[in-house]
Amino acid sequence: MVIDAGAGAPEKWETQVRKGWLELAILASLWGERLYGLDIIRRLETHSDLLMAEGTIYPILGRLKRDGWIDSKWVESEAGHPRKYYWLTPAGRHRAVAMARYARTFLGTIGSLIEPLLAKEER
Amino acid sequence: MSHPQKLQEKIDAYLMQLRRSLGELPPEEVSEILREIRSHILERAEAGGGLTDERLVAILKALGRPEDIAPLYQADALMTRARGSMSPGAVMRGVHRWATLSAGGLALFIMGIAGYGAAFGLALAGLGKIIAPNHVGAWVGPNTSFVIGVTGDPGARDVLGWWLVPVGLAGGSILLIATTHALRWALRFARLRRPTGSPTA
Repeated sequence: MVIDAGAGAPEKWETQVRKGWLELAILASLWGERLYGLDIIRRLETHSDLLMAEGTIYPILGRLKRDGWIDSKWVESEAGHPRKYYWLTPAGRHRAVAMARYARTFLGTIGSLIEPLLAKEER
Repeated sequence: MSHPQKLQEKIDAYLMQLRRSLGELPPEEVSEILREIRSHILERAEAGGGLTDERLVAILKALGRPEDIAPLYQADALMTRARGSMSPGAVMRGVHRWATLSAGGLALFIMGIAGYGAAFGLALAGLGKIIAPNHVGAWVGPNTSFVIGVTGDPGARDVLGWWLVPVGLAGGSILLIATTHALRWALRFARLRRPTGSPTA
């Protein structure tokens, strides 16, 4: 869902929110297995609507790698060209869990706060 | 349907544009980025059952414009390099990038200019004392509280004399290193406050 402020472009606020959650979503998508860029994009498309332009995920992956949360390696594929696979480092697993805990608490508290707004709207 | 060669040229043109937009990054980083984006395009093409003109247009559109993607790489890479560098140029490039993102970054940028400016001024005064000892000094006088450099006050007295040479050069160097360390220390917090930061930040 994209909030339309009337001008057609998503609100700046929504862009900020997406950016904030994207990092957790990427780490979460790597929780169970090693994935290459397009795999991660597909997973994000299936489970969230956080990604705007597909190309923006690669700089984020680069930063997560520099920060030590993930690692990567080029692997030859049957497709005929190599794929760059990413996986969580032990530090990245810890961080992902810490972020997930925070996110759950956050959603719980903000959820109860905004509930009245939505209830009013539905009536 | 277009010729495969023509499609290849279109991909190359996109990557060339990205390469141009990535300007400031080291060549090995740039080639790694281009390799991954090319891999993405080929992967998308295969998933769609082969490459047609319309498909390629859609793939590149979904990727985003090179000039929009490139700054995302630069912001991150510049910041990382700035945090690990002792070069005032690299550190200030990182600070400058942060300054475009937040008021805190802008304040740090101004402090950086002041710190490096003062360091440069001190060193210059030290050198100036060697070249023009009668004009350059650390002046105190009836109309001058304290000025390092050149003064127009005829009653002013040079309180440091030749000591200005070692004081200026050593003080300038110490201030240069201290400014670099202070900026690098402050830059550690830049990531947490960036808009792309995590929800835990």
